[in-house]
Amino acid sequence: MRALERPAHRLLRAADAAANRLYGWHLNPIYQTGAIAVALLAVLIATGLYLLLFYRVGAPWASVAHLQADPWLGRWLRSLHRFASDALVVAVALHAWRMFAQARAWGARALAWSSGVILLAVLLASGWTGYVMVWDAFGARLAISGARLFDALPVLSEPMRRIFAGDQPIPGAFFFLNLFLHVALPLGAAAGLWIHLSRLARPTLSPPRALLIVGIGALVALSILAPSPLAGEANMLAVAPHVAVDLFYAFWLPWADALPPWLAWTGAATTLGVALIIPVVTRRPRTGKDAPSVVDDRHCTGCNQCPVDCPWEAITMIPRTDGRTTLVARVDPSRCVSCGICAGSCAPMGVGPAHRAGRDQLEALRLVLGASPPGFSGRVVAICCEHAAPAHLAPLRAAGAHVELLGCAGNLHSSVIELSLRGGAAGVMVFTCPPRDCRGREGPKWLHERLYNDREAELQARVDRQRVAIGVMAAGDLAGTLVAWHDFTRRLAPAPPEPLISVDEDLDALCDPQPLASRVERQ
Amino acid sequence: MTTRAVLGRLVGGVASIATLALLRAGSLTSMQTASDDAAVLRLSWSARPERIESCHRLSDTELAARPAHMRMRWECEGQFATYGVTVRTDGRVFVSDTVRGGGLRHDRSMHVFREFALRAGSRRIELELRRIEADTRSDAAESAAVASGSADANRETREAQERRTRRSESLPSLLRIDTTFTVPPRSVVLVTYVVAERRLVLRTP
Ligand code: HEM
Ligand code: SF4
Ligand code: SF4
Repeated sequence: MRALERPAHRLLRAADAAANRLYGWHLNPIYQTGAIAVALLAVLIATGLYLLLFYRVGAPWASVAHLQADPWLGRWLRSLHRFASDALVVAVALHAWRMFAQARAWGARALAWSSGVILLAVLLASGWTGYVMVWDAFGARLAISGARLFDALPVLSEPMRRIFAGDQPIPGAFFFLNLFLHVALPLGAAAGLWIHLSRLARPTLSPPRALLIVGIGALVALSILAPSPLAGEANMLAVAPHVAVDLFYAFWLPWADALPPWLAWTGAATTLGVALIIPVVTRRPRTGKDAPSVVDDRHCTGCNQCPVDCPWEAITMIPRTDGRTTLVARVDPSRCVSCGICAGSCAPMGVGPAHRAGRDQLEALRLVLGASPPGFSGRVVAICCEHAAPAHLAPLRAAGAHVELLGCAGNLHSSVIELSLRGGAAGVMVFTCPPRDCRGREGPKWLHERLYNDREAELQARVDRQRVAIGVMAAGDLAGTLVAWHDFTRRLAPAPPEPLISVDEDLDALCDPQPLASRVERQ
Repeated sequence: MTTRAVLGRLVGGVASIATLALLRAGSLTSMQTASDDAAVLRLSWSARPERIESCHRLSDTELAARPAHMRMRWECEGQFATYGVTVRTDGRVFVSDTVRGGGLRHDRSMHVFREFALRAGSRRIELELRRIEADTRSDAAESAAVASGSADANRETREAQERRTRRSESLPSLLRIDTTFTVPPRSVVLVTYVVAERRLVLRTP
């Protein structure tokens, strides 16, 4: 399965690049699929409540026909409900694909993944019941196919398909149960969504406003201009020559009808099983870049910043055992996804995944500074997220940048910027992924806050902000990357040189105006 | 915004419209489900299979020896019948199968639901539902005269009545349909069992 991640990722990057060219990274809908899915669910609930007012289990098709006959509201709201459900399947499928391609299905994310799989199954099932509610040829076909599959299970001795034999009217209880399921399944999905997001801090539940308005507006326009027609009422004693099938919800229908039920069940169970097992088969050893974060108790001052910043709520504060009065941070490795964002939030550099904490970043920088020729000698440094757009690195180098890579821009300890400037860099530009594409979820956001809004661990006030910049490196938008770079380097030209530091300087004193020793004493 | 970016947004607008069109097309894909001369023969019924049993009348002493809630003048042992179903159209055998009552012990109603593709047009349909087991039932229990004036007369009458009712509700040992008629295109020809009339009927739209 891990072998599939690479091609899936390549394809995703190509799709991202295309969408970035067409819409710009701010509005790239494939970055927003989770939030778009939530917005579409909201549209479905709102339109569904209206449709429910008119639905009658005693006369299902007639009541839908009544709605369809109302050109002012009923017809297009019905279509909007349908098209939004279709868009929801597309959004969720893209969302799952993104998570898989970016290797975001295992470890602490396994709960989100497996609940997501269940959510998708519930979604498809509620679409199924929705179409049965209409009771046109497609609805009847879904009902009969479902009954055929159900009859293969040793549950009822009377085949469910007898209901649809045509020798007697279909019992109202069937439509009532179907309606109940159509309401209950989405309610179940809401509970499932809560579980889905339960391990995430501050999940993004809404796409950017412009995307929301344009996206929903487009679906409304489609519903008004080309509403979904309503086929004739289902007739159990006739074979419809053509059925208008919704492929998003009934892609399985041709197989399910053609295969023996046991094979159809086996296919469905295998697909579900494979989807559920992905967290296990894509799991990595918790070493190297996947090692969980750890707290160095000696340096933790109990400031409570990393628990706030951690996008997976993996850090808690607990009492210390070494006699100091403050609390100390503790990382729960089973909830930590090794994003490294905590490394950037800790002023005294007391937390972070192995080899990626603030101190490790400074050590690595010191090696660069110590190399020959020493320091950056007036060059401009580009610190780039390694996931952002690897194809842009060579052009950046060609444009004169000294490129350094980082697992996530949110890992960056602000001291690295200061040390780089003091090591002779003319300027430092940090290139992040488009914020909604950050695998660490909140890397660009926290970076911005730390550099410009004094969020711990803030870039010290003494650092000249003219010589620091944040840029976005989006796949497919090399021009955007280079324009940002050139704007920055032009702005740098007249900057006065910083006094060069010695690479042997004390890190604590350098990076924290209040040295660690004095902090500890005060507590 | 550069000219390139503006061009990109324009193409983006067109791509969005194309995506919406694709969304609608995917939502309303016409799937052919039957050719013009296709039709369906559907067998669908629920009925109680016959019970094949041998009964004997308990003597007063035997009856007294039974626990109070199990006292029945006639004690019967047996099983539920199985049936062979055969369907032919224009002489060609469509199905020849055995059907029996539902439940683990096959003591529940028999439920049948089968569908076969037919061609529209004039068709001869022969359907036979025939009990497989030979009739070993002793009718003595059903037709037994009730000893008049005995203390158990009421019970015995009631038992006999119950057996008669059960028998009248169960499938006869042989049911047949043999008919030639015009099957309309894209129609479902339904064969079902009417309990009240104890016969199979064929319904066309
Ligand atoms: C109704 C369906 C779904 C909705 C509304 C939904 C929505 C969301 C949202 C809003 C997030 C948070 C995104 C963020 O703030 O970073 C999320 C995360 C996630 N979703 Fe879904 N999702 C759905 C289905 C799925 C499916 C089908 C899968 C995969 C099979 C999936 C896998 C994930 C994973 C793994 C995460 C965690 C991402 C991370 O921790 O990095 N979701 N989902
Ligand atoms: S940010 Fe650093 S000092 Fe603050 S609680 Fe976390 S580990 Fe401790
Ligand atoms: S690396 Fe740090 S911020 Fe990221 S999940 Fe682990 S503890 Fe949280």
